[in-house]
Amino acid sequence: MRRLSRFEYTNTMRDLVGDTTSPGNDLAAEDLGNGFSNDADTQTVSSLLAGQYVDVAAGIATRAMAPGGAISKLNACATSVPANTAAETDCFNAVIPPLATGAYRRPLAAGEAEELLALFQTLRNNGSDFASSLTGVVQALLLTPDFLYRPEFGVPVPGQANLLRPTGYEMATRLSYLYFGSMPDAELAAAAARGELDTADGVLARATAMVNDPMGRAATNVGFFFDNLLPIARVGFLSRDAATFPTYSTKIGLLMRQETQAFVKGVIFQENGTLDNIYTAPYTYVNDELAAFYGIAGVTGSEFRQVPLPDTTKRLGLLTQGAVLMGPIATNVTSPVARGGFLTHKLLCQEIPKPSAAILAMIKPPDPYSAPTARERFALHSKDPGCAGCHQLMDPAGLALENFDAVGMWRDQENGVTIDASGTLAVLGAPFNGPVELAQRTNAAMESKTCFSKQWMNFAYGRTLNAADKCTQEAVQSKFTEAGSNVKALLTALAQSDAFLYLNAVKE
Amino acid sequence: MSSIRLSRRAMIRGAGSIAIALPWLEIMETPKAVAQAASAAKRYLQVYTPGGCQQLPINGSQRYWPSGTETAPVLSPILGPLLPVASKLLTIRGLEMKCANSGEAPPHQTGSVGLFSGATWDGGATFSRLASIDQVIAGRISTGKKKKSLQLGIRWGTGQFNGAVSTGNTMSFEDGPGTAPIPPSIDPVAIYSDLFGTLTPSVTPTMGQPDPSIARKKSILDFTDKKFVSLGAKLGPSDKAKLDQHLEKIREIEKSLDVMVTASATCHAPTKVDTSKYDPTAGLYAEMDNAALDNGTDGMIPTVGKYMTDMMVMALACDITAVGHLQWSDSECQHSLPYLNLLQHHHYYQHENGYAPAEIEQIGMWYSQQHLYLLQQMMSVDMGGHSLLDESLVFFGSEIGWPESHSQDNIPIMLAGGAGIRTGRHLDFRKNKANDSDPGIPHNNLLVSILNLFGDARTSYQEPGKSLCNDPISLT
Repeated sequence: MRRLSRFEYTNTMRDLVGDTTSPGNDLAAEDLGNGFSNDADTQTVSSLLAGQYVDVAAGIATRAMAPGGAISKLNACATSVPANTAAETDCFNAVIPPLATGAYRRPLAAGEAEELLALFQTLRNNGSDFASSLTGVVQALLLTPDFLYRPEFGVPVPGQANLLRPTGYEMATRLSYLYFGSMPDAELAAAAARGELDTADGVLARATAMVNDPMGRAATNVGFFFDNLLPIARVGFLSRDAATFPTYSTKIGLLMRQETQAFVKGVIFQENGTLDNIYTAPYTYVNDELAAFYGIAGVTGSEFRQVPLPDTTKRLGLLTQGAVLMGPIATNVTSPVARGGFLTHKLLCQEIPKPSAAILAMIKPPDPYSAPTARERFALHSKDPGCAGCHQLMDPAGLALENFDAVGMWRDQENGVTIDASGTLAVLGAPFNGPVELAQRTNAAMESKTCFSKQWMNFAYGRTLNAADKCTQEAVQSKFTEAGSNVKALLTALAQSDAFLYLNAVKE
Repeated sequence: MSSIRLSRRAMIRGAGSIAIALPWLEIMETPKAVAQAASAAKRYLQVYTPGGCQQLPINGSQRYWPSGTETAPVLSPILGPLLPVASKLLTIRGLEMKCANSGEAPPHQTGSVGLFSGATWDGGATFSRLASIDQVIAGRISTGKKKKSLQLGIRWGTGQFNGAVSTGNTMSFEDGPGTAPIPPSIDPVAIYSDLFGTLTPSVTPTMGQPDPSIARKKSILDFTDKKFVSLGAKLGPSDKAKLDQHLEKIREIEKSLDVMVTASATCHAPTKVDTSKYDPTAGLYAEMDNAALDNGTDGMIPTVGKYMTDMMVMALACDITAVGHLQWSDSECQHSLPYLNLLQHHHYYQHENGYAPAEIEQIGMWYSQQHLYLLQQMMSVDMGGHSLLDESLVFFGSEIGWPESHSQDNIPIMLAGGAGIRTGRHLDFRKNKANDSDPGIPHNNLLVSILNLFGDARTSYQEPGKSLCNDPISLT
């Protein structure tokens, strides 16, 4: 059973009570789990988090109750002072049950409106005035497990013994969090009420519409996915030595993150939407400031727009963008291990064990001043059989990117010595030389496609996929392949797997 | 663009030869008669600093480990700042974090998991299969307090995990099924308000009447409690277990509402500090539109560190809790140290681009100064004829021993306090005292000894089937 992640909590509060303060960011750090911090199997609740839920909900409820807030918009009576007890109850009934229906993401069950009214009366009798009693009820709603968790009970599928599908409302919740990272909107809830989500075809139609959401909500969610898949979220915080990199500032790092965000959203939602394009597009997205940093002429204005890459023998697609090149590097000196490790682990799903304490105890890392180029500094990684076993599976990818320095700018030489960016990687097959060939080989490798779809499944299903999920993986992957690696087709396919359409027959 | 520059440390490398042995000043020794010999310690605080220490002597002189004898130790330069409280210290050499050193998973992570738990992280989804000792101790001495325990993190969540709870930054584990990781609180403003915002003034507003805000909170939590119970009853066992784990924490809050903390001569809110330049989530995930540039956070670390220390000391003095965990950064430690004029991050100096002994020594000395401040603050609180430190045990440690290789033999560990331990000493468990790298004995032996100090009588603390803990250490 999944619990709302911080990202989902923030979005849900925006949609439920119009709270735009990103309250999810005030909650305790979540478990990294599957890399998207939404792995239901690793989520636990600490005393800290339980206390924060109480405090954060109080703040949200207070803001929602303030004049002009979401509650007063539901019914103006909420900010009035009702004349008597009957008028108070009328106002309660006008405001709270509709809000609870949204919070629970389903119609209220028998007795649920009454238990909320009882809480209201208790607060009222304890000395809280009308408004603050209502506020207390709103706060309480946001603390219920019905809101914070996504319980599913399902309904039997006719003619299929032991098989359950999610109820219409449960399916609306699945779809909405998958595509928008938030609660179902009124339209989706109405579709659930009409029974439109009770069949696979109905779900597919709705999924297709949501992926193409005219309001761009799917794009926001896609942005969150890439922020967690790629090492780009922290680039705006990476500082570099000003003497070595005089044109770089953390502001540039922040713009680089926006570049990659604009790029993936542009490719998926405006261009042909294929993964091939993500890896090998001959264009990127910049604004004036970032264009000046990269040395791209003719860009004015602070909005990001698509520009052709000036030299596609040097840069091509996602892997050659500043944020992706900078993100793995925490220092002024590039690390082929960090870059190669990111690419093979996150984009090719290669499981390479981290060096154990026993191994680390035997080795000494290279001094950055010990040799002019990274290839020489890390030479032991290919010479020593103990190191090479693992490092030959990742270093070559990083070495192919050595033409980009620690702020993602092109260089032919390091410390006066020409950079050798050639190499081979078993998972990529044929040898490559330089960043552009690396990007092309990565794109051509089947592993980059299967890894991409696997990462999406981890994120979409809130799990870490394992061997038992082979059928799900193959079903989604084959639809992705059939569609020519179109990412929107992949997103739609996520809602067509048995794992999405049905519940486990056994209650988990 | 980068070029070979003269390495600064190349110039400092010879510095070892001018190391000054710091003599044990007699005036620092507390007369035995005054030393409080409480039979069992009443409070426990564990302090973590990242990255190990300078293990080996440089030019024949120790940089970290004390020299001298057991009862007349001479502090080396890195621990030198602690000289004013040397009589309250028990430094220990020759402890190997064997649970972490078993060679199955990377050392920063195994070390973070193992330091206070003695458990082995095997690289899987479960962080620790043992509770950390702070949680075991909390179960004995801190139940019924406002908080069972308090975890504070300074500049926490750096590096590749972007602020997500991971084995590389989480060190406290619940004493219960699942041994769930406990993340630290990191926002000084929220911590202040949580701990001291409701510090009851010595006069209650209306005699005999319950505080309406508490009654209100109770009604809301009571409603929540019932919703958890009714939903849980409809779910299968594993989903119900999740709700039960959450419900247990809600009930902790419900109970804590009955506990009043009252200001007194001993207990007062610490002076508020302006931390507006400090972004506790700097480097953590933030959405595009509110991503803030980190202008001042790293520079604020000394200020915030002192503030967090003040709050921890007062939380103990006020009896808000009896168990604390104070964590400086995390094992990634990817923040710069502008207050030491070190503009790369700590891990960089450890080994990311070669080992930098002079910088590591500088960082170690700085942490010694912060630890001095903590201990002196604890000594300044009068708990009725003796100090807060006298009735506490303070455990100071790191997740690795040797920054360069990240090996976990000889992890830097020191105890401080008064209750139950004989301080002003240096213990050395290396079998061969001439060998600087002799790993000594497993640190699980120390963990069980600490549990014993708090009245837990078990004779070993380790995962079933392991043999890491064979003999508690005598601390007296």
